[in-house]
Amino acid sequence: MISRNVLADLELVSGRLDRTRAKLTSGKELTRPSDDPLLVGRALQYRSELAANRQYRRAIDEATGWHEASDSSLSAISNMLRRARDLAVGGANGASSPAARQLMATEVDQLIEGIKTEANAQYAGRYLFSGTTTLTAPYSTADDAYHGNASTINREIGPGVQLQVNTVGSAVVGDASSGIVKALRDLSAHLRANDLTAVASDLTAIDAVHDELITARADIGSRVNRLDAAAERLSELEESTVRLLSETEDADMAKTLVDVSTQQAVYESALRAGARIVQSSLLDFLR
Amino acid sequence: MGISTFFGLQTALSGILAQQRALDVTTHNIANANTVGYSRQEAVLVASPAFTMPGVSTGVQPAQIGTGVDVDQYKRVRDQFIDVQLRAQTMRQGYYEAASDGLEQVELALAEPSDTGLNALLHTFWNAWQDVSNNPESPSTRQALVQAGANLADAFHSLDSQLQTIAAQTGQNVTSTLAEANQLGGEIYGLNVQIANAIATGATPNDLLDQRDLLVDRLAQLGNVSVTKGPLEVLDVTFGGAALVTGTTSSATLTEPDLTSLTSGRLAGLVNLRDTVLPGYRTSLDAIASSLVTQTNALHATGYDLSGSTGINFFAAGGTTAATIAVDSTVFGDPTRVAAASATGQPGDAGIALQIAALRGSAGVDGAYTQLVTRIGSDARDANRALANATLLANSLANRRESVSGVSLDEEMSNMIRFQRGFQASARALNAMDELIDVIVNRMGRVGL
Repeated sequence: MISRNVLADLELVSGRLDRTRAKLTSGKELTRPSDDPLLVGRALQYRSELAANRQYRRAIDEATGWHEASDSSLSAISNMLRRARDLAVGGANGASSPAARQLMATEVDQLIEGIKTEANAQYAGRYLFSGTTTLTAPYSTADDAYHGNASTINREIGPGVQLQVNTVGSAVVGDASSGIVKALRDLSAHLRANDLTAVASDLTAIDAVHDELITARADIGSRVNRLDAAAERLSELEESTVRLLSETEDADMAKTLVDVSTQQAVYESALRAGARIVQSSLLDFLR
Repeated sequence: MGISTFFGLQTALSGILAQQRALDVTTHNIANANTVGYSRQEAVLVASPAFTMPGVSTGVQPAQIGTGVDVDQYKRVRDQFIDVQLRAQTMRQGYYEAASDGLEQVELALAEPSDTGLNALLHTFWNAWQDVSNNPESPSTRQALVQAGANLADAFHSLDSQLQTIAAQTGQNVTSTLAEANQLGGEIYGLNVQIANAIATGATPNDLLDQRDLLVDRLAQLGNVSVTKGPLEVLDVTFGGAALVTGTTSSATLTEPDLTSLTSGRLAGLVNLRDTVLPGYRTSLDAIASSLVTQTNALHATGYDLSGSTGINFFAAGGTTAATIAVDSTVFGDPTRVAAASATGQPGDAGIALQIAALRGSAGVDGAYTQLVTRIGSDARDANRALANATLLANSLANRRESVSGVSLDEEMSNMIRFQRGFQASARALNAMDELIDVIVNRMGRVGL
């Protein structure tokens, strides 16, 4: 009877010691669902959140890259537009000779090509300004038409939060009938035709399209700000989720170490006591 | 009429013999101190029938003189009530042992929480969709997506087949446990016959009774047992609601359908595991797989692939169970067929990919899986707890039985001393008698010799 008790107790203590040792070596409080079903369920949720968060941050990085590429293209376009405006100011001046205006017109044509080339900018093999037809160049040298579409590209940057990443080329750069391209084509034609009044009114048109460009860039800027804020929020969230996950899942090393040594001591003394009790009987004392 | 001179010799002799028998029983106890299922025995000594001596001198009432001691019976010290209680706990212990063992295997198959379980693969799958939404034109993200889909399907297959394997093993255990029960029934029947024969001839087959009790104990571990004692100490045993042993008449070979009310014991635990618990888990897993396939496909079919086709399934439409879920072979063979776009001819559009990625965390898939893990965990923990509890109770009852029926060497030692002294004293009395008779036989009537 004593031996049965001693054995049952030893099994209990060694089982406990085993589990604590497993905690220590794995560093995990939870190694299987039955350790604490509720906490395991929570840990799985934290893990899901964490995985989603990391993915959102990838989407944000990607969207930020896209925006930066868009902005640098638009900035180059803006510079060229400014140069065209300078030419228009010169062309509208009565002091310029018709021959000079011809040269100016040629330069404006070059600028248009330059702007179209910038608008054909790519990010990771995709055209930035052609809507969702990202594999088609929005502009070609052959004509002034816009070959993309007006659809938006959205990225998910948080649970249920979507953000437009693209700037549609036709809205900013325009085509043969609107926007920068039309304004500059008009300017070039008017310069060639020596039509000073028309050149002067082109100046107003150029200012108008430049304003639109600036608005588009401001839009990009504000979206980048949103991305930054979202990234920051996600990293804060990640930090707290990691902490929660670790609190749920990870073993408290100091406590576990103390537990192991306590249980080890208990186990050893139980062994020793058991060995002593089991041995003695009346037999030992009879002659 | 007087009493024989030699009367006392007989009395002393009965003492010597009785003490010797008692000492024999003590030796038997010591020899069996470590025999499993052995009950301590006791020689019950009673004064032998007195010799009535009617005589002139005694008046109306005849006087009685003691004639010594007899061994009335060799008694098995056993408390039948503890046996019944202990068996009830053994049944519970057997039941939860089976449940706990099986669920432990399920937990191992589940491998949660970890970076390799189904949960992690679900994340990888949703992440892959989001990668596609970030870069819908790229064949490489699409390739990664179909790979993630295939890995996820494999994880479903593997978990399902492991559950199936556990169920199959449990089924084999049911068969072997039932065979063991039938064998025990046969042995109990054999002992019934021997015991009845022995008792009919007036013997007390203590050791046979012990053996039979031990067999019933073992049977109780396997299933719910009820025992009825008939004449001549013959037992009728029902196992799981079916008659297993009928007295000295027969022992049945039970099959599973015979066990109409199997409620506890290892067999009940195994049957419950095989027929209810494991199929329940598989049904849940199937529901998760089905939900994943239908939800993904419903969105995917409305999308357009890189070449502008629509109505494509991402997962094969035929595979809506955990065992059959698979990425559609067309999509798997050509990842450009992943319908990420919500309109034709727009490779940069990832409306559908975004919608599918937003399925992450849906109640039908991730939520249901977390629920399944929690359920398995709770079931396993409940079984472990109940097992610990039943083991504790069974142990304490076993201790109580041991305190009644077990051989205590201390007690046997003191008994040994007692009976040894008794024997010595009886021998001494015999000696005294002998000396008296010596006086009569050898020294009386020798006057003048």
